[in-house]
Amino acid sequence: MNDLNIPGTQSTPCVTALREQGLLTMAGDSYPENSFEFFRDVIAWIETFLRDDTGPLRLELRLVYMNTSSVKAMMDIFDLLEEAHTQGRPVQVDWLYDPRNERVLDLADEFREDCTFPFRIAPDGH
Amino acid sequence: MATKPHPALAEHELVAQVEALLADPAHTDNPLRAALDALFESHAAQQERLARLVRISDGYHLLSRHHSQSLAEQYDRQLRRLEKLARISDRYQNSLRELSEALKDAALRDPLTGLGNRRFLMERIKEESERAGRKDVPYSLAILDVDHFKSINDQFGHEAGDTALSRIAQAIQNAIREYDLCGRWGGEEFLILLPETPLEFARQVVERVRQGIEELDFTFLKQGAPRITASLGLTLHHPGEAYSDTLNRADGALLQAKSSGRNRIITT
Repeated sequence: MNDLNIPGTQSTPCVTALREQGLLTMAGDSYPENSFEFFRDVIAWIETFLRDDTGPLRLELRLVYMNTSSVKAMMDIFDLLEEAHTQGRPVQVDWLYDPRNERVLDLADEFREDCTFPFRIAPDGH
Repeated sequence: MATKPHPALAEHELVAQVEALLADPAHTDNPLRAALDALFESHAAQQERLARLVRISDGYHLLSRHHSQSLAEQYDRQLRRLEKLARISDRYQNSLRELSEALKDAALRDPLTGLGNRRFLMERIKEESERAGRKDVPYSLAILDVDHFKSINDQFGHEAGDTALSRIAQAIQNAIREYDLCGRWGGEEFLILLPETPLEFARQVVERVRQGIEELDFTFLKQGAPRITASLGLTLHHPGEAYSDTLNRADGALLQAKSSGRNRIITT
């Protein structure tokens, strides 16, 4: 299983996934032309990590704008985490937002609904 | 009428009765005994078969019930997900719309004075020129330049200069009529557009503007508050001419106002 290192573009977030640290980060805007294709690698990495490793998984998110299919992909990702969590796997999400853009806080809060694993939303740099 | 005994009870009693008859040695030689015995065994086998059938059928029933329950649960879950997706997506869309409105506002407004900026003014001058051409009603246009503004910045600093510009903008706004339009043309230059207004009326309005600026209180600029004045070039747009010609003419008039002593209006 490889680490991921996808540089960000104007329409896709920067993604890094480090197996050693059990850490996946995503930052930036997300409105890829083909969301399914873009998120396929990310979702596959998470699935493989949850299946083949035993350590905790942490997602560190600095996502700003997302189109509808990206929102759906994120919901799928949180469902994977929820499933792992109910099976006793330590997983957590840290969603960091620019304090100048408090809208992201409300949006992240909507995502957090129905999630029972630790889901922290905090201003970036705190 | 005698009440019928319960069928299950009746059957139970019948079974007990037949068992007793078969067991009774008094009937050992009865020719019907062998046939009854065979019938009794066949009945027991049928009963067992029936019980099995009911068990299997019940099993299928339960299975299909669980299946439809889980389908209903899945359906509810998908529905909730879809609602959540739409909710989040709507929020993003709203914030984009608001952002685009804010950007539009920022693109057309001068942040210091709150007046329209040069881009805004250009759009309005184009519109007004087209309207003037269509309706054959000329508009008047004035360009205003604050006199010796550089010295305010040099002497009192840029912050004081900014405050002075904001107050001047306010004074212009107060002096013009409701349907006149003013904006920041750049630096310490302002532009005033007076729709459907002949030159002699326009002159009265811009004279009020000139006086309004002259009367501004700049004592906040501590040492030796200077008198701030403005020079204006005023002209009339002739229907059909290019608006750039109108602007150039107003600019020329403004230069004359400057060179002939400032704090005045030159009309061409």
